[in-house]
Amino acid sequence: MGDKEKKKQVKKDKNPDRKAAYLLIAPSLLLILVIAIYPVIQSFYFSLFDLRLNSPTKSSVHLDYSINLDTYLQYYPFLVDDLDSTIEDTSGPVKEGLTDVKEDLESLDQNIQEDTGKTYEEVNNILNNFETPSSELAMVDITNETADQFEETIKEINTALTQLKGTDEIENFSEIQGLASGLQGAIIEPNFIGFQHYQNQLTDPRMWSSLWTTVYFTIISVAIEFVLGLAIALLINKAFFGRGLIRATVLIPWAIPTAVSAMMWKFLYDGQNGIVSKFFMELGIIDSMSTLLSTNFGAMSSVILSEVWKTTPYIALLLLAGLQVIPKSLYEAASIDGAGKWKQFIHITMPMLRLSILVAVLFRTLDAFRVFDLIYVLTGGGPANSTETISILAYKVMFAQTNFGAGSALAVIVFICVAIISMIFVKVLGSDLLPENQGK
Amino acid sequence: MNKKAGPLFYIFLVIFVFLVMFPFIWVFLTSIKPPSEIFGDKAFAWFTDSPTLKSYASVFFDHPFLIYLKNSFIVSTATTVYTVFVASFAAYAIARLQFRGKAVILGLVLSVSMFPQIATLSPIYIILKNIGLTNSYLGLIIPYTTITLPLSIWILVVFFRKIPHDLEEAAKIDGATLMQTYWKIIFPLAVPGMFTTAILVFIAAWNEFLYAFVINTEVAYKTVPVGIAMFQGQYTIPWGEISAATVVVTIPLVILVLVFQKRIVSGLTSGSVKE
Repeated sequence: MGDKEKKKQVKKDKNPDRKAAYLLIAPSLLLILVIAIYPVIQSFYFSLFDLRLNSPTKSSVHLDYSINLDTYLQYYPFLVDDLDSTIEDTSGPVKEGLTDVKEDLESLDQNIQEDTGKTYEEVNNILNNFETPSSELAMVDITNETADQFEETIKEINTALTQLKGTDEIENFSEIQGLASGLQGAIIEPNFIGFQHYQNQLTDPRMWSSLWTTVYFTIISVAIEFVLGLAIALLINKAFFGRGLIRATVLIPWAIPTAVSAMMWKFLYDGQNGIVSKFFMELGIIDSMSTLLSTNFGAMSSVILSEVWKTTPYIALLLLAGLQVIPKSLYEAASIDGAGKWKQFIHITMPMLRLSILVAVLFRTLDAFRVFDLIYVLTGGGPANSTETISILAYKVMFAQTNFGAGSALAVIVFICVAIISMIFVKVLGSDLLPENQGK
Repeated sequence: MNKKAGPLFYIFLVIFVFLVMFPFIWVFLTSIKPPSEIFGDKAFAWFTDSPTLKSYASVFFDHPFLIYLKNSFIVSTATTVYTVFVASFAAYAIARLQFRGKAVILGLVLSVSMFPQIATLSPIYIILKNIGLTNSYLGLIIPYTTITLPLSIWILVVFFRKIPHDLEEAAKIDGATLMQTYWKIIFPLAVPGMFTTAILVFIAAWNEFLYAFVINTEVAYKTVPVGIAMFQGQYTIPWGEISAATVVVTIPLVILVLVFQKRIVSGLTSGSVKE
């Protein structure tokens, strides 16, 4: 034990910077945890609930039964008053039945007061002052027993009322019924549904079609970008006049906002005024100008063309940087040995470029897989959902259908796909990816 | 490979530059056409006989485009300043100091930079909504951290590593504290790297669409990409105004790229090349 302690001591002395290092890293780490990691976990948590932003009872997660005291206290006193006055006016079995109901209701109220404690009084006071309590204050968890009792009492009131419906003895029949159903609205059921959303999504053809669209878009565009990017990098990897101009030219499509470039292409592809549509039609590639954005294949190809235009420069630059650090002596030695251009390319250029290629393709693949703005602005996912990628589907489910639970499940599916892609690449790249191991 | 470039090569270059720049050229030519020539037969003519700045005037006077520009500028600048500041400390520690868990932290930073935005969207939206930060500048600056912080740390680590160790050691021997070493020795040498990082972060924040689209829906807080993408005319899509707006946002970026192209390229390629 003493030995161990000593060792620790020695290590500490050797490394006085450690504390400082943790201090320096802390702010970044904290931000990453709070703003990136926590939301992803939260997304997963949301995906286990039937969460709908526009529905008052499902707009937040409820693991347990809870009660909206605001609603409850707006109905309960009046219901008891109405029952009281009816009980006075009636006699015989009707009176007995209603008295039973009233007693049950009061015992339920006792339990609710017990479950909700001081909040009950607080909300009641606020309501008595004709003010509205905040929804956080009014929403209180109740025990499952109370919730069961609640449901049963409401049921009892309804049965009692149905039995009495025929008789004319109750004057304010419909009023009591209205108050009872209003009271029912105060209880909020737990909306935990486990993996139901995943089950629904994984059996939904729209999810699979959007996943396929995403994969198709990613593979085709990254493949074209890679081949074109490599060709451009090889071609401009020499001394020539105007190099800076070329570099600036390829950087501009990369630098402008994707949404803006999508809008630009939308104009160029336009069925009536689009110059690219017109040009393609005159070349005979498409039948009519509207083909580009109104047919499934046309829209997909248009989207891929825009993506290739915007991001090939990025790949070309990464590969060019990789080409520039290959020692020239390797090529000299190879040509002395009589290796031709092609052989040099296969045996020197490609292996030396391995890391640059993998990094470029990894980043591009992940970017393409997450694609949202380009397609959303250019086609909105249409026509007939033919360009709807999984991110767009998730967005639509979340915000157009306001189904946050199902949308979060889709978001988690995107996350898992991205994680799988990264893991495959990291496996191939190994520890080369960390700058730690570079420059060695 | 120091091959000499022949005339064929230059012809190829001209075609290449033309193809890449064509959408911009066309959009610029459209932006100076009078509205009547944007639609119909004349839509396909290269040059208009009566160039006009009407579309530009409309962008600035009939649409809240100046507000979008201001919003984008405020959000991007604030994001840039605060992320590069925070990231520089972390990057310095990772690049220079010895401590346990470094590989884990770097791995974490790299993984976060790969997170799909959609996976953080719903919780971030709900949190911001609950604390009343939707439709505000902070509502965008905070979530932009997910994108910009990993990017900044990553690039800065590579830059810090390139700074020679000798100066630091000399300072240490002279009895300088860690913070003194950082501010007096490392920081001045790292300024170019930080500047490069800042340019890339600024562009990333300026171009972001999804968060801006979802979180700031009011005109008063919309950013440029969302503003242009949602440009709506009363009956038809106003291509003239859209073209003019596109030109207006592209010109500063073109200048930025022309002036800082070497830096941008060095930032983009840092970490992908073994040197």
